[in-house]
Amino acid sequence: MPRITVDDQTLEVPEGLTILQALDAVGLLMNGVDIPHYCWHPKLSIDGSCRLCQVEVEGMPKLQIACNTQVTDGMLIRTRTERVESAREGVMELLLVNHPLDCPICDQAGECKLQDYAYEYGVSESRTREPRRAAKKRVDLGPTIVFDQERCILCRRCVRFCREVPGTGELGVANRGDRSVIETFPGTRLENDYSMNVADICPVGALTTKDFRFKIRVWFLEDVPGICTGCSNGCNVHLGVANNKVYRYVPRRNDAVNQTWICDQGRLSYKEIEAGRLRHASVRAEGAAREVAYGAAISEAALRLRRVLESKGPGAVGALASPHATNEDLAVLRRLLDALRIDTRGFAVVRGHEDALLVKAEKAANAEGARRLGFGAAGAVLERVRQGAVEALLVLGHDALASGALASPEDLAGLETLVLLASHQSALQRVAHVVLPVRVAAEKRGTLTNAAGIVQAVEPAVEPAFEAWTEAEVLWRLGALLGVSDFAGRFDPAAVAGAAP
Amino acid sequence: MLKAPYTTGYLTEHFADDEFATLEGYERRGGYRVLRKVLAEVSPADLIETVKASGLQGRGGAGFSTGMKWSFMPKGDEKPKYLVCNADESEPGSFKDRILMERGPHQLLEGILIGAFATGSAKTFIYVRGEYQEPADSVERAVAEAYAKGYLGARVMGRDFRHDVVVQRGAGAYICGEETGLLESLEGKKGQPRKKPPFPAQYGAFGMPTTVNNVETFCHVPHILGRGVEWFRGSGTEKSPGNTIFGVSGHVQRPGLFELPLGTRLDEIVFEHAGGPPPGRKVKGVIPGGMSMPILPAHQLDVPMANEFLRERKTMLGTGGVMVMDDRTCMVRAACVISYFFRDESCGQCTQCREGTGWMHKLVERIERGAGQPGDLEILLDVAAKMEGQTICAFSDAAAWPIQGLLRHFREDFERHVADRKCPFPESFEL
Repeated sequence: MPRITVDDQTLEVPEGLTILQALDAVGLLMNGVDIPHYCWHPKLSIDGSCRLCQVEVEGMPKLQIACNTQVTDGMLIRTRTERVESAREGVMELLLVNHPLDCPICDQAGECKLQDYAYEYGVSESRTREPRRAAKKRVDLGPTIVFDQERCILCRRCVRFCREVPGTGELGVANRGDRSVIETFPGTRLENDYSMNVADICPVGALTTKDFRFKIRVWFLEDVPGICTGCSNGCNVHLGVANNKVYRYVPRRNDAVNQTWICDQGRLSYKEIEAGRLRHASVRAEGAAREVAYGAAISEAALRLRRVLESKGPGAVGALASPHATNEDLAVLRRLLDALRIDTRGFAVVRGHEDALLVKAEKAANAEGARRLGFGAAGAVLERVRQGAVEALLVLGHDALASGALASPEDLAGLETLVLLASHQSALQRVAHVVLPVRVAAEKRGTLTNAAGIVQAVEPAVEPAFEAWTEAEVLWRLGALLGVSDFAGRFDPAAVAGAAP
Repeated sequence: MLKAPYTTGYLTEHFADDEFATLEGYERRGGYRVLRKVLAEVSPADLIETVKASGLQGRGGAGFSTGMKWSFMPKGDEKPKYLVCNADESEPGSFKDRILMERGPHQLLEGILIGAFATGSAKTFIYVRGEYQEPADSVERAVAEAYAKGYLGARVMGRDFRHDVVVQRGAGAYICGEETGLLESLEGKKGQPRKKPPFPAQYGAFGMPTTVNNVETFCHVPHILGRGVEWFRGSGTEKSPGNTIFGVSGHVQRPGLFELPLGTRLDEIVFEHAGGPPPGRKVKGVIPGGMSMPILPAHQLDVPMANEFLRERKTMLGTGGVMVMDDRTCMVRAACVISYFFRDESCGQCTQCREGTGWMHKLVERIERGAGQPGDLEILLDVAAKMEGQTICAFSDAAAWPIQGLLRHFREDFERHVADRKCPFPESFEL
């Protein structure tokens, strides 16, 4: 491994990389070693055009761009000399020659690399007296993205992204010189399953998503690390939170899971934290559902389950686990079922579109966790329901029906008891005797196991505006009411610590 | 149509003769004899050594050693290797390659074939400037003749050496004369120079090892191989041997082409060969090597036209395009024209070039309009300095140098514009 010296630090870095790649690989880039850059992106090809990352390399007469200069053993790199600083100042001044400087009305303000670097590396005064270029504003590039040509600094990350990541190549640079503009090729629109990533990698306010723009100033947002629950890939995200509300997901880098990307569908799935939620506990009496207090609904569930358990035994009770629940939730479920000797158990997951990049067919965040915790296919459970062998069914998850594992809610109408724990509304409510709203991943602490078996932690980013417990809490109380000995008192997460298989 | 330069030498001595452009006529005057001899008797390694020893410098502007360039090509043949003949001749003030293609296309082909044999190249792409209809036609005719005669194709002159030539037309962009911008354009992409490394000798046309040489550079090769290194070094200077073709334009009585030894003095070219300025006028400044090279004022024309001398005066030979301006010329207007050109032609990749060329032009244009302000000249020089030496290709330098040159030698013109708030040269050319 080559040893290089960057200013006063000596580092060992992997072979065959350029300076920026090497610093990125050892985690020091912009995190100990500051080499500002625009066109370079760790997951895109090297462009070498913004010229901001110039550094001094011992033995080379000219400044070198750190993005495209291969490290060699013994290389001596200087990033803070007068020459380097003057070159950066030059680039920053030139980038601002035609920039509209409309930060007060620009949605990127606050997370804009042009702002940040101009402040950090630029000069404070503008020397241009010439008119700035006029170009198109609010260009509708496609269903997800709006483009401001005037703000664009032509780093071309978006162009390379479309060519190299989804492979759709909708974008190009038209014209040349200071008339250069990013455009979609004639007759095409920026329309691919990953299109909104261009807004993340755009260092300035040129590309913004229609979904997020003008919703809130980014400095009001707290970035809470979390996991996208749209499918079983478990893409790492930051949840942008303000006022106990999630305003957006942006991808959080994890080279083992999602690189720096997220699919558009997953990105927009933050909306489901609010939309379609099940907000009230309810109990069915004489055919009609009635809202009841949360505790009362759990008591009713316990009562009903006890009745079947006592009259027909554990063989008449079945359970469906939820692939949306955390490993900790599912571990509590497993303990409860074990304690009650309920063997009729399984889980179902909705399947859908998948691709070679990130999107997985299983549309739930923890299907693999459920599988590893011993929950098999739901088919066997449902077969027993059809045979009439099951009289009480405990269902976790609102979409056990949508998975195709159940033909229709009416197939369950014959059950003596159906207890439903779900975060979202569904047709299952129509036939459930007890309905308990539960939390989603963004509202709880726990772990999720993605399709590749990587266990990832989530923490609460928001609090539900209504009473909702985690599945673990509900099941713990249910267990206590059913007399399961070690389920006494309140649920203690320590009881299932390390549950993730 | 100009058939031959006003002064001729080994490159152009037969150009007045229409037959010279045909294969038969070229052979009758000794053409292709060198190629035949080289294929039979000389090894590629010796060929490269000979060209190195001749001191031949590329005639496309940068003046890099041709032999060295050839030696950078990898030796094995895991991948096909390519030659590219840069016939884009996009430098304003330069028009020598045009006549070399129109009047002596087989001389060019012979040079290419020798270069191809030396570098082990399977194919040559001749990239001809889009506007050059006649030169392209002439080269295409010659290529067809050479194929018919077996001088191109599977067995060149019956030897175990295959070579093909493809003539590709450009679409009209200055930057496609930069070797990697040319390669991009050749591949059907937008003409934008590539970052280096990798260099063309490793990763060139279509990803294959490639050497790019200028038209004139190839044309010298048969003469060097035919008559020897010593003969070649008998012309020109010690460091810059051989002849070159100077193209003189602007305010002279006899604009045109002149084949002369490198090292010929600039004042001799302007006053003796090109007849000096029109009667009653004086030379104010001369751009010695195409528009991207810094200008020299009238009192500095006593300089031999070779890089080792021109560099001392902070300019370069470039492509040998000599542009003469007389005493009615407004140098701010000249700066306007030059900066407009570079603004228009910048490919737009690198920040300094894209933004700097535009800023320089707007600034110069404002000064010319009489709206210049104190401090503008310092900004102009500072912008030019920031554009130098920091970009993917030399275009940004080429845009900065002429403005720096004009300010170095004619700062007074600029200052008068600012002070008088108008252009003090009513008789200068129209913008």
